[in-house]
Amino acid sequence: MDTLVNVAHGLGVALLPVNLLYCFIGVFIGTLVGVLPGIGPISAMSLLLPVTLSGTPESGIIMMAGIYYGSMYGGSTTSILVNIPGEAASVVTCIDGHQMAKQGRAGPALGISAFGSFIAGTFSLVALMLVAPSLASVAIAFGPAEYFSLMVLGLVVLTFLTQGSMAKALLMACIGVVLGLVGLDSITAQPRLTFGRIELIDGIGLVPVVMGLFGVAEVLLNTEQAIKRDIIKTKITQLLPSKEDWKASAGPVGRGTVLGFFLGILPGGGAVVASFASYALEKRLSKHPERFGHGAIEGVAGPESANNSAAGGAFIPLMTLGIPPNVVMALLLGAFVIHGLQPGPLMISQNPTLFWGIVASMYIGNLMLLVLNLPMIGMWVQLLRLPYNVLFPLIILFTIIGVYCSSNNVFDVHVMIAFGVIGYFMRKLGYEPAPLVLAFVLGPMLENNLRKSLILSQGDLMTFVERPISAICLAFALVLLIGPLLPSLRKKRELVALDEGA
Amino acid sequence: MTDQTNVKLRLNNSELWGGLIGLALGAFVIWSGLKLKLGTINDPGSGYVLFYTGILMCGFAVSVMIAAVTEGGPTFASRWQNARWGKPVLVIACLTAFAFALEPAGFLLSAIPLMLLLLRVIDPVRWSLAIPLSILAPLGMWWVLKHLLAIQLPSGMFEIG
Repeated sequence: MDTLVNVAHGLGVALLPVNLLYCFIGVFIGTLVGVLPGIGPISAMSLLLPVTLSGTPESGIIMMAGIYYGSMYGGSTTSILVNIPGEAASVVTCIDGHQMAKQGRAGPALGISAFGSFIAGTFSLVALMLVAPSLASVAIAFGPAEYFSLMVLGLVVLTFLTQGSMAKALLMACIGVVLGLVGLDSITAQPRLTFGRIELIDGIGLVPVVMGLFGVAEVLLNTEQAIKRDIIKTKITQLLPSKEDWKASAGPVGRGTVLGFFLGILPGGGAVVASFASYALEKRLSKHPERFGHGAIEGVAGPESANNSAAGGAFIPLMTLGIPPNVVMALLLGAFVIHGLQPGPLMISQNPTLFWGIVASMYIGNLMLLVLNLPMIGMWVQLLRLPYNVLFPLIILFTIIGVYCSSNNVFDVHVMIAFGVIGYFMRKLGYEPAPLVLAFVLGPMLENNLRKSLILSQGDLMTFVERPISAICLAFALVLLIGPLLPSLRKKRELVALDEGA
Repeated sequence: MTDQTNVKLRLNNSELWGGLIGLALGAFVIWSGLKLKLGTINDPGSGYVLFYTGILMCGFAVSVMIAAVTEGGPTFASRWQNARWGKPVLVIACLTAFAFALEPAGFLLSAIPLMLLLLRVIDPVRWSLAIPLSILAPLGMWWVLKHLLAIQLPSGMFEIG
C-alpha cells in the first residue's frame, strides 16, 4: 500500500510540466544518440551534465536517466537497419536484426525490439520500486568496511568483463583511482598531485575526463576509418509483429527481462553484458539454434529486452547503496553530487520526492519512447543519412562547449583535449577506458572508506573478513581475480568480455 | 597475426611499451605516496592509498610486460594497419592549436577556424557547406549560451563575443 502511495506521489512530481519536458528531452536525446553510431549514452550524458545545473535536481536526474534508457531503444534501430550498433548494448541485435531487415522484415524486428524494450523497462521499474526500499533499509547497517569491499568487487567485476587483458584493465582501474585522488585530501586537507596548479586543488573534473575519453577519443578513432553504411532502402511497413512473431518472442522477452534485471544490479555488469548473455541463453534454449544469425526474431527480442531491463536494474545499487555499478551510473552519481545530493540508503527516506519522482518519470519515459520509436521511426531513418564528416566536427564543438560550461574554466577544455588524445592512444594499444572512469569516480569513496575502516578497527585488517557481507564481496572479487589464470575460466571470460566503451 | 605483426623482445612491441609506461607511472605514484607520508595502519596518511595503488600498478604493468615478452605483442605498425592515421593526427593538431588559441583569441575567433579545418580535414565537406556551417554553428552556440543561458564564453584579447 505504501508503495502505491509513493508511486502516486512520484507521479505528481513526474507529471509536472517542467519534468515532463525534461523527461521528453532526455528520452529524445537518448534515442538520438542511440540511433547515431559513434556517440553513446556516456558521451551524451557527459555532454549534458552541466545542463542539469539549470533546473531542479529532479528535472536534471530525470533527463539524465531518460538519456540512458532512451539510448537502449534507439540503439536497436541502427543495428537493424544499418548493421552498425548505435551503442554497445545493441551489438548483438545486429546479428539477427539486420538479417531480418534484409529479408524484408525490418518492421517486425523494430516492432518487437520496441515492445520487448517497453515490457522489460516496465518490469524493471516495478522491481526497482519493490527491491530498492527494502535493500536501502538493509544497507543502512553497512559500515565503511562493507562499502570498501563492495566497491572493490564492482571494480574487479568490471575489469573481469572488460575486453582484452585483465592486467591492463586492472592497471586502468588503478590509474583511475590515482586520478580520483588528485586534489585536497578530504581528511588532512593536504594537496595531492596538484603540481602547484590551483585548478587541480578541487581535483580533476569528471566531465572533462569522460568527454575526453569517450567523446573526443571516439571521434578520433572514427576518423581513422571511412564509415560505410548499408542502410535498408525499402519502405518499413508492418511494425506490429504478427501472432507467430509474438509466440516466438514471448519466452525470450520474459527470460531476457528477468536475466537483464539481475545482471543490471550486479556491480560492473549492465546492459551490454545482459544483451550478450540473453542472446547466448536463447541460442542454447532454442530447438533450432541454426536459425540464429539468419534472422531469428528471438535473437532480437531477448537481447533488446535484456538491455532495457538491465538499464532499470542498474539504478538499484546507485539509489540504495550510493555505489554506481557502471560508468553511466557513475555519471548519474555526478549529477546527484552537482546538486549536493548523495544517493544511498538514506535517500529514499530523506528525499522521497526525488526517488519516487525519478521512478515515476521512467514509466512515462518508457511510454514516450514507444511513441518515439514506432510511429516516428521514419524520422530516425532519415537521421541515419546524416553524413559523419559533418557530425564529428559538431560533436567536437559540443564537447568543448559542454566542458567549458560545466566549470567556466578554459583549463578543463585543455584537460578534455589531453584525455581525448590519451584515450585515443589507450584504445589503440588495447586499454579500455571504462575501468578508469568507474575507478575515478569510486576512488575518493574507496579511499575514504578504507581509511575510516582502518581507523575504526585500530588498524586491524581482519575487519574486512570478519564482517560477512564484506568477506563475501572480497571472496568473490578474489575468485574473479584468480579465475583468468585457469585456462577454462579464461576462455569463458574471453567469451563474455565486452567493449564497454563503444 | 603473422610473425611480422606479432613480436616478442623487440623495441617495436607495443605491449612492452604500454607496460613500461604503466611501470613508470606506478613508480611515480609510489614516490608521490611516500612524499605525502604514509601514516600508520591505525591512522593512514594522505599518501597511504597512493603508495599501495602505485605498488599494484607496478605489479600489473610488470604482468603486462611479462605477457608481452613471453606471448609476444602487436607491433606499433600493425596497430595502425589499414587505418588513415593521418586523420586523427590532423584532428589532434587542430585541437591542440585550438586549446592554445582559446584564451587569447576568444571562443569565436578560435572555434570558427577549428570547425572549418575539421570539416575539411576529416572527410572534406564541400566549401559551400563547410564555410557557412563553420561560422553558423559556433555563432549559434555562442548566441544561445550568451543570451538564453547567460553563460559567457571566453572573448579573448579582442573582446569579440
